[in-house]
Amino acid sequence: MLKSLPSERWDFTTAAHLLNRAGFGGPPAEISELARLGQAGAVSRLLDFESVAEPTSDPAWAKPDPDRTERLQAARMAGPEERRKLQREEQVNQRERMVGLRAWWLERMASGARPLQEKMTLFWHGHFATSMVKVRDAYLMWRQNDLFRRLGTGHWPELLIATARDPAMLIWLDQAQSRKEHPNENFAREVMELFTLGEGHYTERDVTEAARALTGWSYDRRTQDFVARPRWHDEGSKTIFGQTGYFNGEDFLRLLVAQPQAARFISAKLWNFFAGEWPSEELTTALAAAFRDGGDSFKPLLRTIFLCEEFYAPSIIRNQVKSPVQWLVGSVRVLARPLPPPLVCLNLTRNLGQDLFAPPNVKGWDGGLSWITTNTLLARYNEAATLVQGAPPPAMAGANPKRPIAGKQIARRLGPVRIGGVEVDKLFTEKERTEIEALIPALERRLVQAKFRPDQEKVLREYLASEPQLDDHAILNAIRLVMSTPEYQLT
Amino acid sequence: MKSEITLQTRREFLRQTVLGGALSWTVPTFLANTFAALQANAADPATQAETGRDSTILVVLQMAGGNDGLNTVAPFANDHYRRARPRIGLDATKVLKLNDDVGLHPGLTGFKELYDAGRLAIVQGVGYPNSNRSHFRSTEIWQTASDSRRFERYGWLGRYFDNACAGCDPTIGVSIGRQMPEAFAATHPTGVSLENPQSYRFIPGGRFRPGEASGTEESFRKLNAPEAESMDESGGTIGSISGPVRHTGSVLDFLERTALDAQLSSDKIRGIASRVSNLATYPGSQLGNSLKLVAKLIGGGLPTRIYYVSQGGYDTHTNQVNAQERLLKDLGDSVQAFVTDLTGQGNLPRVLLMTFSEFGRRVAENASGGTDHGAAAPMFVVGDKVKAGLLGQYPSLAPADLFQGDLKFAVDFRSVYASVLECWLRTPSEPILGKKFAPLPLV
Repeated sequence: MLKSLPSERWDFTTAAHLLNRAGFGGPPAEISELARLGQAGAVSRLLDFESVAEPTSDPAWAKPDPDRTERLQAARMAGPEERRKLQREEQVNQRERMVGLRAWWLERMASGARPLQEKMTLFWHGHFATSMVKVRDAYLMWRQNDLFRRLGTGHWPELLIATARDPAMLIWLDQAQSRKEHPNENFAREVMELFTLGEGHYTERDVTEAARALTGWSYDRRTQDFVARPRWHDEGSKTIFGQTGYFNGEDFLRLLVAQPQAARFISAKLWNFFAGEWPSEELTTALAAAFRDGGDSFKPLLRTIFLCEEFYAPSIIRNQVKSPVQWLVGSVRVLARPLPPPLVCLNLTRNLGQDLFAPPNVKGWDGGLSWITTNTLLARYNEAATLVQGAPPPAMAGANPKRPIAGKQIARRLGPVRIGGVEVDKLFTEKERTEIEALIPALERRLVQAKFRPDQEKVLREYLASEPQLDDHAILNAIRLVMSTPEYQLT
Repeated sequence: MKSEITLQTRREFLRQTVLGGALSWTVPTFLANTFAALQANAADPATQAETGRDSTILVVLQMAGGNDGLNTVAPFANDHYRRARPRIGLDATKVLKLNDDVGLHPGLTGFKELYDAGRLAIVQGVGYPNSNRSHFRSTEIWQTASDSRRFERYGWLGRYFDNACAGCDPTIGVSIGRQMPEAFAATHPTGVSLENPQSYRFIPGGRFRPGEASGTEESFRKLNAPEAESMDESGGTIGSISGPVRHTGSVLDFLERTALDAQLSSDKIRGIASRVSNLATYPGSQLGNSLKLVAKLIGGGLPTRIYYVSQGGYDTHTNQVNAQERLLKDLGDSVQAFVTDLTGQGNLPRVLLMTFSEFGRRVAENASGGTDHGAAAPMFVVGDKVKAGLLGQYPSLAPADLFQGDLKFAVDFRSVYASVLECWLRTPSEPILGKKFAPLPLV
């Protein structure tokens, strides 16, 4: 188990695999640079990102808004018509920020200096799957995202405790309202089932007792921050995992992470996220041991994963279904084009089945094969054209006849949404743009970092030959065709 | 059997010609030829197993999140109920009485009318042994019709496809939404999923033609539609639960098959959606829109036998009253509109709609005006041919009769499935459910 990769296997293919999985892929030049660094150097380049400056600044609105409570209060007190108007304004405001927040995050993934930090942030967002549909406060959603970014490769107990006290999470799983008189079990159950142990590794008694331990952890709307409410806390003795004591929330979470199953659970989930398949029992044991040896921190475990030979097995490489976010971010990176405007990104990822900050439920996205349905696959093939060939701005009239004002408001504030296409001369050399024999391997290297199947190569060649001339139009169509294959959906 | 072999062969033939090069089918000229070939196939009666074109249809409606059955079909006259629910309990003045003991939630006026018209059956106290209180595991148990301590690889509808519909058109099962429900998981992936028929196609030129809804225009609509993100009264942490997808072949094989199914179904579905009009007014909700689309597809004669729709938000741990009111109103009104629509089409006698939720909720309310995960709850079955009324016993609410604060089930959900399979879909239930469950007198 966990053998190291022989150095002679470190090449363009394995380097591309690392960049695809530990980040969001990239153009051939970036892959070649990682190949040149050697495996340890390449892993370090991605993983030891603290030394790399990340210039992105926080969104301007990403700070507490002390007036918000008053505005909401005023809306509640107002007459019905005025109330609707005020609530509507607040809603439009929050939605606009959420559109901006999604774009802000996607931009960090697509052009930021720390792809693995963003990839881990995405992992934690899917793991602690919190949705703005219930939280309804863009600042709190940003704050949770920022927490994942800061602590995402660090110490597990620290991350778990911080997340349990995170305002968005307190609202999302109702912990904010749990009182000793009759504790709310929502967070207590999900933290064991979904976040740390897995179903079947705790008892119903553990759930009710843990819910008691967690009472008193709450949320203060005025400060938009965590608050401990001692009078809501159940001071009594609790028995959790067979241990008895006057546990509070933090005691319980530390007890939880110390369970042997906890190391197995989170190590296996990370392996699945990066390798694209669930690890065997044996591999899980080895990963869990590496995690414990690393002091329950994620960075040592990630290094183990990215260095081991198992991660580069032929059955692992190019056999993971791209998530919609991976598909979008990876595509704009290899196409050397900017991300489309925020509203277009929002619509595109939704059509493909992954709306950031709005996972379908608290378990997050199922991922893997479930990304692919007849519906979402057609959407991928069609959105490929949007990215490659661009699209005209939408007709604004009639966007929503019932709510014309809000529609115009958002549209005006976010600007026009015309989307440009790909600039072919940024991707290919003069020779590649004029000779089919040179173009095909260049398409392979850039888009799939592997050889096309012979029959596919033949179709592509025939298509290119059927065009009156090998111009930008033909090349863009060829790119779009490659993106409309089952193979392109894998990474 | 003979026709099945032919079908498999034809399907294989299609795979080879259409996907001979996985690339080739995306080239517009190939596309046109393929569609022509497919139309010919669809018209060949030998290729048609029994389908929904002329046979019975089942619509499964998932209420994701664990609906509180006690406030849905409320035992308003019961002392234990009133004591357990001092804040959120429903009293005799509020409920829509079905008899002297139980009444429907006031939001369910649509269901009350269906009940009075003899089109609604309510199966009381449905659950399963060793009830699991995890949303995901319990949903999986319902979707795969397994014992609570056994894992089944395939869904119960998937096993129906495998057993009774081998070689059928992929549209034998249609799920409305972006993900396939785990219930559809089958040894041979069957069924299609779609959300918006307008975009359910491959657009060769990559550009939207003038006058057609473009992707971005749609996002404007969603951004501005009050219901789209339910930014108002939230119904908890469960918007939808589809469950994981399993497949025996390789990942690439799965992708190719899905691509083929998309091709096989897209023209037909879009054609129907633009040709058929709805004959009822639906709520503007996601569920309303889903049922609206299902009614169109039924009206247009898609050869589907199973439709799957989902409504989420039932995980009401806090402030349950408003959230459940909104959800149940939407449910009752949407289903009522659906029934009106199908009645107008003349298709109602062929359609049965069944609801389920992964579990009911605790008998006692919690201190945040909500309820936590529980066990048994009622199921609704709607149609022209149902034996309307209340079926089974309402589980006892006496504290001594509860298990860990939850209602004990009286009817195993697989008995309901068995009734639907045998009496409605006319197929033996044992090979699908793995053992014999006594069917209920439902239809």
